Amino acid sequence: MAPGNLNFIVIDDSKLDCFIAEKIIRNTGRGETVKSFIMAPDALEYITNEPGPANGLKTVMLVDIQMPIMNGFEFIEAFEKLPKEKIDNYIIYVLSSSINENDINRVRYHTSVKQFLNKPLTSNTLSTILELIG
Amino acid sequence: MDRPEKIKILYIDDEVNNLNGFKASFRMDYNVLISSDTVDALAQLQKHPDIRVILCDQRMPNQTGAQFFEQIRNDFPLPIRVLITGYTDIESVIDAINKGNIFRYIKKPWTDTDVKSAIEESNKFYITNSMLTLKNEELEKAYLELDKFAYSVTHDMRGPLVSLLGAIDVSRQMDDLNEVKGMMDMMEKSVQKLDSFIRSIHEYYSLKRGQLQIAEVDFNEMVKDLYDIYGVTGMLEHIKFNVNVAQEDTFRSDTVFLKIILNNLVSNAFKFQRSDLEHKEVDLDIKVVKGIATLTIKDNGIGIKNDYMKDIFKMFYRATSNEVGSGFGLYNVKDALSKLNGEISVTSTPGEGTTFNVIIPSK
Repeated sequence: MAPGNLNFIVIDDSKLDCFIAEKIIRNTGRGETVKSFIMAPDALEYITNEPGPANGLKTVMLVDIQMPIMNGFEFIEAFEKLPKEKIDNYIIYVLSSSINENDINRVRYHTSVKQFLNKPLTSNTLSTILELIG
Repeated sequence: MDRPEKIKILYIDDEVNNLNGFKASFRMDYNVLISSDTVDALAQLQKHPDIRVILCDQRMPNQTGAQFFEQIRNDFPLPIRVLITGYTDIESVIDAINKGNIFRYIKKPWTDTDVKSAIEESNKFYITNSMLTLKNEELEKAYLELDKFAYSVTHDMRGPLVSLLGAIDVSRQMDDLNEVKGMMDMMEKSVQKLDSFIRSIHEYYSLKRGQLQIAEVDFNEMVKDLYDIYGVTGMLEHIKFNVNVAQEDTFRSDTVFLKIILNNLVSNAFKFQRSDLEHKEVDLDIKVVKGIATLTIKDNGIGIKNDYMKDIFKMFYRATSNEVGSGFGLYNVKDALSKLNGEISVTSTPGEGTTFNVIIPSK
């Protein structure tokens, strides 16, 4: 079975990192839609209000950790309070330049997070994790 | 010896004659408090946290001196304890030293010299101990700051670098030259970000470790440098830079610290502009009157939300993703001001602009 397409959301305060992620997602050829947010609260608002994907596809979310106003962990904690049927539509990866053990370990406590990924994101890494999603 | 304030000591003895005799002998040299029982002594300790030396008679009706010292050991760890006893009961003395943390032991009947030397030695010990406690607290604070610092530094230095790596990787797969050029612009911003972060760290350390170097300050001269830098930025980005200096008096301060303050505030004013606005403006107003410099930096940029106001001077705090900031600038400003005995206040309206007001007295 050929792998299907997915929706993507990138949350990163660095415009360049958003751009790189978008580019890499498009390169995999599996991005049905790609949306970037440089402020986590904006992403949360978007997710809270969206009625559910019109295309019926799951959404892969790449979330940075250190961001102003609302950091990645705060965002994930707020996200986990959303209705379950909404949460189930998302697959979260934390994407960070952090090499801090605490940050990496802390990701494990969030059941909604699939994996911690180290920056920079490469086409190889992304293709591999997307294959695992199927 | 020059002593601005007498050492506060507490003498405890159930014999009132002894108390009065003691006070009469030493009240010229020390600030002597007396208690005839340990309950009153406890109240005195609570009332006077600055008692440095406690002298206590061993034989008392309800409690021995050693027991009293043992009892107060946890609640009042700072005062130095001296035990006085007429009985050379070696067991009780050993007990007192082990359990009550006794510094000295004086035999009754005491001589003035014995008591004086015990108090002086105790005081020295007290000072050393207190200094050590203070240093330890400072050290703990410094460690905490270092942890926070190390964490943010790895992020803030690694961040732009991994962005660059990612950008290089993506650029390799691009065929369109214009697209590659676009990437290069973004990569340049990333390098600038790293550079400005390293400069901020340099400022941070000059502020933390640097001694003040006070000299006469000519604000007109200082502003020229600023104008050279920001005049160009202003032309390129269409931001009007209005500078006004009125220095009537001589002013003495540290030039490096003043520059850190001015540079950060002006650079913020230029940075946090509203891109859609037609008449962007930054006003820098400096007045020196009667030994007080008042600096006003005003912009009509994006402004600061009220919720974030209380945090803007904190280290690594950033209130927006829209512009590249290290979260260091205003922290350094505040740090520099505290060393110059200056003050800063800010008023801001989101979507309309921000005004920083700085007041610095001449040194």
